[in-house]
Amino acid sequence: MSDNTYNDIFSAFRGDEGDLIAILLRIQEKFGYISEDAVKHTAQFLRLSENQIYGVASFYSKFRFTEPGTTSIKVCMGTACHVHGGKFLADAVSWKLGVSIGQVTGDRRFDFQRVNCLGCCALAPVVKINDRVHARMMVTGLEEILSRRE
Amino acid sequence: MSQNGSTIAVTIDNRSFDVTKGITILQAAEQNDVYIPTLCAHGDLSPHGGCRMCIVEVEGMRNLPTACTTPVENGMIIRTHTAQLQTMRMEILQLFMSEHTSSCLICDEKVECKRFMVTVRKASVTTGCRYCPNDGQCEFQDVAEKLGVTEIKYPIYYRGMRVETDDPFYDRDYNLCILCGRCVRMCQEVRIANVLAFKNRGRQTMVGPAYGRTHFEAGCEFCGACVSVCPTGTLREKTRAWEGKPDREEVTTCSFCGVGCQVRLLVKGNRIIGSLPADDSLVNEGQLCVKGRFCGTELANGPLRLKNPYRVEGETKAEISWETAISLAADKLSSCAPGDFGMLISPNCCNEDLYVAQKFVRVAMRSHRIDTSARFFYGSGLNAYTNLLTMSVPLSALQKASTILCVGLDSRFARSVVGVALRRASKRGAKIITIHPRHHNLAMIADKWLQPLPGEETGLLESLAKLTADARETNETRARSQSTDANHDQDLASIADLLRHAEAPVILVGSEFLQYDTSASILDAIARIAQNIKAGVLPLPSHNNFHGSIVMGAYSELLPGGLARAKGAQLPLQWGVEPPADNSCWSAASLSDKERMKTLYLIGEIPYSWEPNADFLIFQNIYPPDGFCHADLVLPAAAFAEVDGSFINGEGRTQLVRKAVDAPGGALPDWQILCRIAQKMGLSGFDFSSVESIREEISQVAKNLGRFTEITREPIPLPFAGERFVIKPKSAVDSRRSEDYPYLLTISAVEHSHRGFPLSNWVEGSKMLLTEGVLEINPEDAKKAGIARGDEVVVTSVHFEKVLPARLVREQSPGTLHASLREYTYFNPNPQPVRIRRQECSG
Ligand code: SF4
Ligand code: SF4
Ligand code: SF4
Ligand code: FES
Ligand code: FES
Repeated sequence: MSDNTYNDIFSAFRGDEGDLIAILLRIQEKFGYISEDAVKHTAQFLRLSENQIYGVASFYSKFRFTEPGTTSIKVCMGTACHVHGGKFLADAVSWKLGVSIGQVTGDRRFDFQRVNCLGCCALAPVVKINDRVHARMMVTGLEEILSRRE
Repeated sequence: MSQNGSTIAVTIDNRSFDVTKGITILQAAEQNDVYIPTLCAHGDLSPHGGCRMCIVEVEGMRNLPTACTTPVENGMIIRTHTAQLQTMRMEILQLFMSEHTSSCLICDEKVECKRFMVTVRKASVTTGCRYCPNDGQCEFQDVAEKLGVTEIKYPIYYRGMRVETDDPFYDRDYNLCILCGRCVRMCQEVRIANVLAFKNRGRQTMVGPAYGRTHFEAGCEFCGACVSVCPTGTLREKTRAWEGKPDREEVTTCSFCGVGCQVRLLVKGNRIIGSLPADDSLVNEGQLCVKGRFCGTELANGPLRLKNPYRVEGETKAEISWETAISLAADKLSSCAPGDFGMLISPNCCNEDLYVAQKFVRVAMRSHRIDTSARFFYGSGLNAYTNLLTMSVPLSALQKASTILCVGLDSRFARSVVGVALRRASKRGAKIITIHPRHHNLAMIADKWLQPLPGEETGLLESLAKLTADARETNETRARSQSTDANHDQDLASIADLLRHAEAPVILVGSEFLQYDTSASILDAIARIAQNIKAGVLPLPSHNNFHGSIVMGAYSELLPGGLARAKGAQLPLQWGVEPPADNSCWSAASLSDKERMKTLYLIGEIPYSWEPNADFLIFQNIYPPDGFCHADLVLPAAAFAEVDGSFINGEGRTQLVRKAVDAPGGALPDWQILCRIAQKMGLSGFDFSSVESIREEISQVAKNLGRFTEITREPIPLPFAGERFVIKPKSAVDSRRSEDYPYLLTISAVEHSHRGFPLSNWVEGSKMLLTEGVLEINPEDAKKAGIARGDEVVVTSVHFEKVLPARLVREQSPGTLHASLREYTYFNPNPQPVRIRRQECSG
């Protein structure tokens, strides 16, 4: 991630404080997460402190600060999914991969997140693996999918 | 009811008041002595409206507005203590308590605890009170008590976070934090240091720097401003824990640098337990730096403070009475010829001490052999620097300047109050230009950072002086004709333009270049730029009373009033003595040339760079000599908090030093010790009864100063420019790199010293912040040389070899190295070409 990549991103902005969120979004789009390096560059560009930027960014659950794993697993814990046993699915992932919510496996292959409603409650409980939503998921089914990917 | 345009009428709790328009309900209540409980509001900070403790009822408003954020309106009918409000406040407070380890606030043992511990705030989730900082200023507790909360009906949800103790000077227990945001606002709005921010959200919300960084890593200045405003025990001073409330306060002048901040010393019994900024509008405006806020207390209270005089014979130290010590000193000094004597006195001493010391040397020793360490510190730039002091402007000039040029200034730890003023200036749109060879905190706010390589700064400043001199030629063309580096020249030309067109520009001078061999030409160039652009100059001397040491005449060349002997100044008639037999000029620099003295008298000075060569050495200080040399007679002096006196700061402001506590044991003020020795030697004119009587004599003797009987704090620049000091010209040395010596090393003096000692000798926390004896190196260079962080590095030049631990600094220019050393005068020339290698461990 050279300085140039950042400069490309920054070139679209004037450098006002108000640009912060937009810049962070662009960075996350580009790199998948907000690295310490990115915070540092943004701080220099906007003349804010790294602490202020982290403070703002960490308020939004949208931003992540660790490099994502290759396969993203998002278990829905919204009301409908929760009622339909979303928690069991989350536990199953934890057991299987040995990581808890918000973590990435040591080999960086799996990335485990929870979400609050994917907008398809009728299909609850749902798990989103990469871009695909798996409906009416059950622990056994989920384990099978994960095994296939391992 | 309304009186006129600027006041409006409100009713608070059935009483009517006329209040100023535009203030908040809370302010209106406070002005009229109506108590509204608050937690997040603070007089120095913007309203936050976060804790909701201050809710009030306002007739006609549907919900309950927070008093701290709601402005008063004409005819408002406000109720502050209805039953409903009190119940709601109690609920809110209990909610706070359920999340924060504050069950102590409702503990059964509260009454007893309070009696013995001053405050009952502590984490009683554990049985001990080890979390309670016991400083008697828990606003959370006060509010709980006033509301009468005695139980928590909500489930307890404590966060169980680790107490953060890794940083120096203060600890943080975020289990006690109520997220009032005072510290965040203090750090962001007032200090503009932006170290603290709210992070995460919901239940995870916390206050702190980015990621899990420590404050040190996050750029904190350790000004302690956040600690002062925290209403709970979350932020607390390490050394003040368990001290309780102070009995009284004493306002005095900080003695750690030439800014001269006004501080409130907190006194309990006969002990300084802390220091806080005084509410002073002239200098520090309620701010302090880490030295004034935290270092003084520890320095004054060190267990190793000298308490009684002692004599050293061979290997044995024997405590002796003052009587014996004074006789011994008088004996040795009486039998010492004027030419065999020398005195070094610290420019940290008060004017009164400096005056008596130079009078002592001239009258009692019949000599002019007195000097201060400023001679070494400023080296060949001594005249040029004092010349800048004649041009000094008050700090308030920063408020008006449209452009501020900072030369060699770093305000993170030293002089951070100036840093705050600079950031304020930058916020209101002033342009900040900084010239500094190394990483420094102004880089964050500077519009332009010029980073000259060692050896280039003179050229750079001289080009700026030339470019600002003549407005007729366009600068671009001139610059191009002078050098080849086009980019650089563009920069210089535009900076010169900026400076020339600036309104009320100010040049701040820090310490970075002062130990360079070329410091004189650097400082001269600054003076010329200042003249060209009609800028005010504000030199920020490292020594708090450098100005005073000059006007008191504590140098061989100068007499009281700062008058030069070379220009015909005579000893004051009032002294009634013949001029000294030995009329020559003497500089302490000759001590390092192994000049042998019969008696050397060190008052608050320690020549770390060489072993003093004297038959008899008198060492007068607040701490014992730390093994650098052999002292024969050690005399305990009183420290800054234990004496009355005055200092003159960099602006030329004479400010009072006030005694807050008694000195430990038998320690005496420097001037008293000198007077007693002089009297023992049978001399008259040393029967001063107080500092006032000394000031009276100073006023008579140095009429040109005319301000010593009544101290007004008026800033008066140092009188007259010109050559004050006799300076041995530096022989030109070749400081270019070569194949054998491929790096250029620059050395700075350890700036954070007091009475000769680096603060880190006696103040634990400053070891981490105010580093000395560390080799700063660019990571690339380090990699090439196979050096990792913390490795011991052997630095070799033609002149010396020294081993220093490495610190990798990204901003250090490749091919250059830097170190701050207490024995800095030893390393000549400066800068100096060196080579480096990792020290291999043997055995
Ligand atoms: S000590 Fe000063 S700089 Fe550091 S966090 Fe507190 S207010 Fe900010
Ligand atoms: S640390 Fe203190 S000042 Fe800062 S938010 Fe917490 S309670 Fe308030
Ligand atoms: S800036 Fe100087 S005078 Fe002010 S508190 Fe710090 S050391 Fe003391
Ligand atoms: S609750 Fe899971 S998709 Fe809506
Ligand atoms: S004091 Fe008003 S909301 Fe905290």
